[in-house]
Amino acid sequence: AVVNNIVVKGTGTTGTDAVKSKLTIVPGKSFSDADINQSIRNLYSSGYFSNVAISVSGSTLVVDVTENQMINQLVFNGNRKVSDKKLQGAVQLRSLGPYNEAQAQLDAQRIKDAYAQIGRSDVEVNIETANVGDNRVNVAYVIDEGGRTKIRKINFVGNDTFANARLAGVILTKKSTPLSFLTRKDIYNPDQLRADESMLRDFYNNHGFPDFRLISTDVDYDEDSNSYTLTFTMSEGERYKFGNVGVSTSVEGVDVEGLQREIDTRQGKVYDADKIQQSSESIAAAVSSQGYPFAQVNPRGDRNFTDNTVSVNYEIDQGVKAYIERIEITGNTRTRDFVIRREFDLAEGDAYNREMIARAKRRLEGLGYFSSVNISTQPGSAPDRVVIVVDVEDEPTGSFSIGAGYDAEGDALVLELGVEERNFLGRGQYIKASAGAGNDDSQIYNFSFTEPFFLGYRLAAGFDLYRAYSSSQDYYDYTETAGDIRLTAPLTNELSTTLMYSYQNFEYGGKGAWYEDKNLSPIFQDLIEGGPWTVSSIEQSFNYSSVDSRRLPREGVLAAVTNKVAGLGGDSNYYAITGKARVYQMLSDQADIIGSLTVRGGYVTPFDDNLNVFDQFTIGGQQIRGFEQSGIGPRTEQGNSLGATTYATISAEANFPVPLIPEDISLRGAAYVDAGTAFGNKVDVSSAGPIEGTDSALRASAGIGLIWNSPFGDLRFDYAIPFAKEDYDEVQRFRFGIANTF
Amino acid sequence: CSTADVIGTKDVMYQGYVIDEDMLKLVKEGSSREQVILSLGEPSTTATFDNEVFYYISQVKERRFTFQKPRLVGQEVLAIYFNDSGRVDRIARYTMQDGNIVDMVSETTPTGGKDITFLQQILQGTGRNAARDFFQSAGGGGGSAIP
Amino acid sequence: CSRDKDVDITTLKYESDPPQQLYDEALANINAGKTSEALRKFKAVQDQSPLSDYARKALVMQTYIQYSSRKYEAAVTSGQRYLDLYPNSEDAAYVQFLVGQSYSKQIVNVTQDQSFAESTIAAMQTLIDKYPDSEYVPQARAQIRYARDQIAGKDMQIGRYYLERKDYLAAISRFDSVVDDYSDTNQIEEALYRLVEAYYAMGIVSEAQNAAWVLGRNYPDSKWYDRAYSLLNKKGLEPQSAGRGSDVSSVTNR
Repeated sequence: AVVNNIVVKGTGTTGTDAVKSKLTIVPGKSFSDADINQSIRNLYSSGYFSNVAISVSGSTLVVDVTENQMINQLVFNGNRKVSDKKLQGAVQLRSLGPYNEAQAQLDAQRIKDAYAQIGRSDVEVNIETANVGDNRVNVAYVIDEGGRTKIRKINFVGNDTFANARLAGVILTKKSTPLSFLTRKDIYNPDQLRADESMLRDFYNNHGFPDFRLISTDVDYDEDSNSYTLTFTMSEGERYKFGNVGVSTSVEGVDVEGLQREIDTRQGKVYDADKIQQSSESIAAAVSSQGYPFAQVNPRGDRNFTDNTVSVNYEIDQGVKAYIERIEITGNTRTRDFVIRREFDLAEGDAYNREMIARAKRRLEGLGYFSSVNISTQPGSAPDRVVIVVDVEDEPTGSFSIGAGYDAEGDALVLELGVEERNFLGRGQYIKASAGAGNDDSQIYNFSFTEPFFLGYRLAAGFDLYRAYSSSQDYYDYTETAGDIRLTAPLTNELSTTLMYSYQNFEYGGKGAWYEDKNLSPIFQDLIEGGPWTVSSIEQSFNYSSVDSRRLPREGVLAAVTNKVAGLGGDSNYYAITGKARVYQMLSDQADIIGSLTVRGGYVTPFDDNLNVFDQFTIGGQQIRGFEQSGIGPRTEQGNSLGATTYATISAEANFPVPLIPEDISLRGAAYVDAGTAFGNKVDVSSAGPIEGTDSALRASAGIGLIWNSPFGDLRFDYAIPFAKEDYDEVQRFRFGIANTF
Repeated sequence: CSTADVIGTKDVMYQGYVIDEDMLKLVKEGSSREQVILSLGEPSTTATFDNEVFYYISQVKERRFTFQKPRLVGQEVLAIYFNDSGRVDRIARYTMQDGNIVDMVSETTPTGGKDITFLQQILQGTGRNAARDFFQSAGGGGGSAIP
Repeated sequence: CSRDKDVDITTLKYESDPPQQLYDEALANINAGKTSEALRKFKAVQDQSPLSDYARKALVMQTYIQYSSRKYEAAVTSGQRYLDLYPNSEDAAYVQFLVGQSYSKQIVNVTQDQSFAESTIAAMQTLIDKYPDSEYVPQARAQIRYARDQIAGKDMQIGRYYLERKDYLAAISRFDSVVDDYSDTNQIEEALYRLVEAYYAMGIVSEAQNAAWVLGRNYPDSKWYDRAYSLLNKKGLEPQSAGRGSDVSSVTNR
């Protein structure tokens, strides 16, 4: 049909040509029904019209519309927690745009969704309108934010082997606690729940349960208490250990014997899926080292249902013969290209090796610079060419932190405020600056910098600056300024060695009547007068760590051995060796009881005949609880501790969730027995009176403790009673400190 | 861990093209370009301005400890020269001995683009989520000087 | 928590000014340097009379203000909206240029993701293809060259990374890709020089000589050619064409 003019009826504020511009029909041109439908759709989709009718009478097209009301002003009332700007972004209607009822309801729901994301599911939104004449209306979304929706309880059903407290530690969503407004981890959100489910699955697969199944995760929202209860129902299945573990290959020429050493999954150990993956990666690297870079390692497990063992056979097959054409790194808006590329042991042009790429992905995730690392392979420019695409997403790596620490003398507790940047300028460098203050007006300042890839080697080089003042002693205060430069080299992925040169300069300032012999031993008076003292030393240490987590280790070993030589100038000339080791072992999975045994020891010997007081070891409450800070070891008649040339301590501890206290305050109890000794003195005591405590008497104590996992770090309250001590030792039964795991 | 772990076994890396001697026997003078690609696969690279020459480059590197830079210990370049009619004219093999010591020129051609400054990162990185991070990464353990 | 104060909607009157008056007020604000006020008024024009020509002009000005006050993402969104609504209006080329410029201003240094460089090239190429006789075409070409320099610079940076680690194969293919696809950028001279370094280090002297010869023939007075010359000269070698590939330009239009 053809019309030669168009008539528009019912338009008020929107002009007739606005309506015409939406039509697909033009006078003089033929059009079909489809054009009419299309025009109607266009008019509706503009949102300006609540009703549209198009009809043809004679040679005129009649378009009859009824307009929607127009919004004059759209406002949000009653919102405190979310800004107007953010809400405007979530809703569809806006000032001066068309108004329609259905869209307003949709907007109300969108506002509720926005609030649900910040943990408020108890929100009421109602829509108020006020006419302004001329078919215009003001619209207000009135929001009643309600209270913060808490997570009242997280239940676990079917977890016969692991205690609720342990599983609660595995997932990220936490129960609401009085302090959780700080960490915001108690917000229910569905994708976080998906992540929690896979974390539970990984946890069980890595702790002996290949058949673990999560039957259901139900979330019920209780209206009146405005809180959620999460329940994870699971079936653990049987617990498996590793049966016999072997390597076989279909690629001749691969020497299988040499590969046994790469395997981490040893017979008799608890089944661990992650260890299987790591073993495959190191086998693949070893096979590639034997000249077979294309080889692929496929672990095959087969189950023995009678004795609940899984025997694992790492099969080496000939992988696809493809070469990496390019490694494309995308998404790095901050981290530099080379910081990512250097984690790959393969270069462009090398053979494509699946396990080596998995290892690079594991390293990149370990850096902690990215919220996500996705590695995908795409076809290259030839059939045997592959392009590796590494898509990362930078996450902010800077953070403020508040922590508790000790002052220079290790006596007074200080509260430290720190700024830390783990990926400085995207170069992977680490920077931390912190300042702290505590009682007895003690102060502490720290600055440290580390470059993880010094001159292209996988060597972490860095330096630290340290300044502290403390006057916790009665008759003297102590000021120290120190600096060191260090170089750390990884030997295996658990063992590393560090070489460090440090220069310390410190001074003792007299306080009160320090010059009277009855108050302060002449040895210390010499220290005050003889200051400032400098110690210039170099030390080499081995550090070993195979613990499963830094925060709350349950399995594994932490150990360190340090050789120190002081005497490159400065006032100290000695050689000292110190060692410490702590072994963690689960005593009971059901009750989540962690056992740990700690051994420490140290010996210092001067090059010429004497040592200074500050050269000798200060042993006390930190090593054997129940004693004062420098409570044991040689001391003057005035009670000033001279420190000891030799010490050895041992401590056995059991750590468990506190039974009665509700779980939501993360509190753990501890019971322990400490024992040890500190003896020997090489300080020139000719000017002082008799010295006690140079013999190697055994001290021992038993005690209990409470560990609070606070936002300021793990704080610890200990009460220990020495049951074997010397009469001149200084006892301190109650002790408040930080629970440094090492 | 066994002692071998501590000293670190020698980590050998075979990089680049993996030469397969018996496949190489199939390529002789007169073979066509397609025959070469069929038996040896695509070349690692070709001559810069045309593909009259196929280069198959393979390297062997070693490192004793994980922190060391892999040291180039073996290198073999298989060069296949084609004549104008696209037939293999000559095959040459270059090894480590042919290599030369080159210390790279450190100067580079300037490039543009804005770079993040220290201040920007501190404000952007820590500023934006200072609140969230303020308590979350609760640090413990201060500068105690006691063993 | 935000302290936006609540509004009693019954008192708000409807005020709408004629689009032209609003538009002129906005222009006055720009001259007075009050850009956020001008932005608000330009948005009001579009809201109040969405189908008027002033609304179109206001959207152009909005894109310009956002671009010049470095709100590049907002400028791209506004520009894109304009191009969808008014694809063949007379300001379309200018807005397309603003979009390209907004991307170009966000280009980061070569050690990071160059997606903004790629977006700049795409946007500016659209301008050249869709509005061939627009006055912005020369500037668009310049921006494309700058963006291509960046992308070539990234390849060079990765090439040098591999060359330093003696991964010659990886390094050569990165430099080759600059020579093959980016020979019109400022990186070409160094790319040729690095090829000389890489092939010379591997002992494939003929390729090193050929690359040096091509470098010399196309950029005789470039300091990179001097370096290539002195490097080869150490062993008494001369840049020498292997009879193939006479000059770079023949390479680019291969």
